[in-house]
Amino acid sequence: MAERLTLARQIEEDTAKRRLQRLGAAACEPAWVSLWAAALGLPNGTPGAWLLCTKEMRRALLLVGTELPTQVEEPSSALNIDNGLPPTPEALNRLWLWERIGTPRHWRIQVLDSTPTPIWLPCWLGYARGRQHRLLVISGLSGEPMPMLKPIVLKGLQQAYRNGPESETKSSGASERREKAV
Amino acid sequence: MEGFTLFDTVVLIGYISLIAWIGSRFSKDQHNPEDYFLGGRKIPGWAIGLSVMATQASAITFIGAPGWGFEGGLERLVTFINVPLAMIVLILVLVPIFHRAGIYSIYELLERRFGPATRTLTALLFLIARGLATGVVLYAPALVLAVVTGWSVNLTIIIMAVLAISYTVMGGISAVIWTDVVQMFVLWLGALLSIFFLVTSLPGGWGDVFDFGAASGMFNAIDLSFDPSVTYSLWAGLLGGFFLHVAYFGTDQSQIQRVLSSPSVLDAQRSLLIGGYLLIPQMLLFLFIGVILATYYQQHGLTPPEDLNELLPRYVVSAFPSGMAGLVIAGVFAAAMSSLDSALNSLSAVTVRDFYSRYIKPNASDAHYLKASRMATIFWGLYATLFAFFAGNLGPVIEAVNQIGSWFYGALLGTFLLAIFSHRSNARGAMAGLITGMFSVWAVSALLDISWLYNNTVGVAVSMSVGYLVSLTAPAPSQDQLSDVMMAEAAPDMQAVLAARADNAQVIGQEARLTRRRCIGLFAWFCLMLGMLALLQGWANG
Repeated sequence: MAERLTLARQIEEDTAKRRLQRLGAAACEPAWVSLWAAALGLPNGTPGAWLLCTKEMRRALLLVGTELPTQVEEPSSALNIDNGLPPTPEALNRLWLWERIGTPRHWRIQVLDSTPTPIWLPCWLGYARGRQHRLLVISGLSGEPMPMLKPIVLKGLQQAYRNGPESETKSSGASERREKAV
Repeated sequence: MEGFTLFDTVVLIGYISLIAWIGSRFSKDQHNPEDYFLGGRKIPGWAIGLSVMATQASAITFIGAPGWGFEGGLERLVTFINVPLAMIVLILVLVPIFHRAGIYSIYELLERRFGPATRTLTALLFLIARGLATGVVLYAPALVLAVVTGWSVNLTIIIMAVLAISYTVMGGISAVIWTDVVQMFVLWLGALLSIFFLVTSLPGGWGDVFDFGAASGMFNAIDLSFDPSVTYSLWAGLLGGFFLHVAYFGTDQSQIQRVLSSPSVLDAQRSLLIGGYLLIPQMLLFLFIGVILATYYQQHGLTPPEDLNELLPRYVVSAFPSGMAGLVIAGVFAAAMSSLDSALNSLSAVTVRDFYSRYIKPNASDAHYLKASRMATIFWGLYATLFAFFAGNLGPVIEAVNQIGSWFYGALLGTFLLAIFSHRSNARGAMAGLITGMFSVWAVSALLDISWLYNNTVGVAVSMSVGYLVSLTAPAPSQDQLSDVMMAEAAPDMQAVLAARADNAQVIGQEARLTRRRCIGLFAWFCLMLGMLALLQGWANG
């Protein structure tokens, strides 16, 4: 299996705090979610975007860029949520097919390499207090809210809670949901 | 009366060619696949919102609303007065759930909640309803072409159908957001110029318009009658129109598709906000043109055309300076093409995803599905064309398109609301509710003298109540089936987890939530619009 790449966190703490504050959060913390990335591009061309998904996702995240914005350092000290197995090549191609059917402009773009690369996606978690506690997840790359990652993150948080603080760098959660753009 | 001059024809062809050139240039510039994705992201949110508006309704608004205003003044604005309230429901309830569920077509949510039969039936209802409404959208530019050329409208329907289908099959250019924005401004410019030319042609100018409008009750936008047979009472607009627009914007795949494709929930909200704020003023503008046209026709002793949809196109062609008429008519064409492209595209996508790939060819190649989607586009284009031949008999196109939706969408919305709000409801109840909801709408329309605006309310009420009661006769759904519509963090164990994490996370202080602020803004806008209409009516009635 390929080495897991770590995407560089581009939304710094102050920006993340401001964005989460606007969404109603009263507290925040960084986290990392493990996903699988497949390159998208014109046939025989260079990648222009990346599909990010896990085995059970029915719709993938879309990360635009010719290269994955990686960093050398591995994620540390924050909460790491591992989502297990990669999607099959067939599943990846099918995920992209439905995106193309819905947006004919993307028809020429194909999955370039069906063997996905494992990645750590940076996120910021916000906690809102009202009648109930609420979780908010925003991307550490764009700062956009990603409600579809909530089920994955919630499972990861639950696992970390059960296992105690030492498990925070290796919590597992099955992925059920998908996001449109990162 | 200059008519549609050669110069107008040159401008019309030039404008359409320019739009096509921009589209092809845009495609050629996309050597790097990154451009395909980044193209839309460099564009400000307001432009994306305007392009959504242009795609939704601009051509039929331009053609249909003045006829509506000519006939009934501002009273029909109540049909749209509820739009800000409908947008609040979309922003708070439907969009977050659709976005979180990560679905391509919204009918998938119903499969996960109620099973494949509910998905299939709701997707089928969408195809039938949207296909019919697309016929009306096709009729609009065909009528304009008939007015301009003097050809039979049946011939121009065929010409427009061939153009629209070819355009969509070739990929369309609706992705070029700036051309949609330009079209929107061209149409608004056309509306403002129409007002200018009309008012300056009246001896008393604005005074004549206000005197005529007040004397003939055209500014009576608010009818407080509780009689359900009064089509455009305030209550019909608030109660019926509200469900009409929640259903239209929330359960019609062709409308919600762009929202689902938005990069984030906040972007999706932004495009809904633009519609929430601009739809009422836009409708007011075009209805007001109808009032001014009525004044103009009365003062000049003219006989209105039999089909009131022809009113504004005829005026533009006859009164606008040479070249300007060509530009405005071209704007109508381009806007109609954008709407048709979007509608045919969503019809084709739902056909392939919800039917063809599930029941006919589950594991075909990508190329096969592309071919199937093109065939589906042609099929729905022909279906819409057949209906377009009858659209001229349905009155103002803007009312026709909403009436068609009202036959189907109430029950559809009821099924979605049942899925979201009743965690006891199940597949049996959903199907029973959907079918009885549809029949109840038809029964009420046929048997009772009741405003068509209430159709959606009836559909929602019957499908939800029957759906809930029938659900009690079968086992409750599993937790897995409820996962899309339940807040996962609401479970007591998750609350404990979140409380513990929040206590250990960095405190950032609380600010008013963006979504809440946006919804309060929409509600304030609704109150302001209603207040202004009440003031106008008060003034008109002394």
